[in-house]
Amino acid sequence: MKTNGRFIAMIICVLIGAVLFGLAFAGTLDEFWSGMGAGLMTVGVLRIVQHFRTRNNEAYREKVETDIADERNQFLRNKAWAWAGHLFVIIASVATIALKVLGQEQLSMAAGWAVCLMVILYWISFLILRKKY
Amino acid sequence: MKNRIEAIRKERGILQEEFARSMGVSRQTISSLETGRYNPSIMLAYKIAKYFGMTIEEVFIFEEEESK
Repeated sequence: MKTNGRFIAMIICVLIGAVLFGLAFAGTLDEFWSGMGAGLMTVGVLRIVQHFRTRNNEAYREKVETDIADERNQFLRNKAWAWAGHLFVIIASVATIALKVLGQEQLSMAAGWAVCLMVILYWISFLILRKKY
Repeated sequence: MKNRIEAIRKERGILQEEFARSMGVSRQTISSLETGRYNPSIMLAYKIAKYFGMTIEEVFIFEEEESK
């Protein structure tokens, strides 16, 4: 049931991508949407291929399921997200100062707001997790 | 935390792949556990000990210095 739902979602993803790409190709939408459409189509097609591969290949399905459920992989995924968050805050903080020095006021402000948003999200997540665990 | 997984597994002639399948984890996880790069969750530690028919203390060696 869950797999069927995902398969349908991937087909919808490909269809939306194709529509966006088609409309952009016809000139109705701009280049941004053609890129978005191509991206959606690529992701959708890859997921559909993977869906059929897992359905027809028992060994591959077992490998994929083990990789998803594997506790070390879950630990690594969480760790990677934590690293990505830390790196993002550091890079955006440096960019805020660098852009300010370079006179790029608006970009500097955008980078600064991104840092603020990340810190706020971190604290909200921390408070929610503290109640949960 | 050190452990005796590799020694016990080899003693019993169990392959990493076979052991990983029984534990429901990847072979890389078993390899990381054996080299001490990764410490398992209490659930996996329990599962491993149970698989070998031993207690957690017999498989895993807790070292006081690590927690400080």
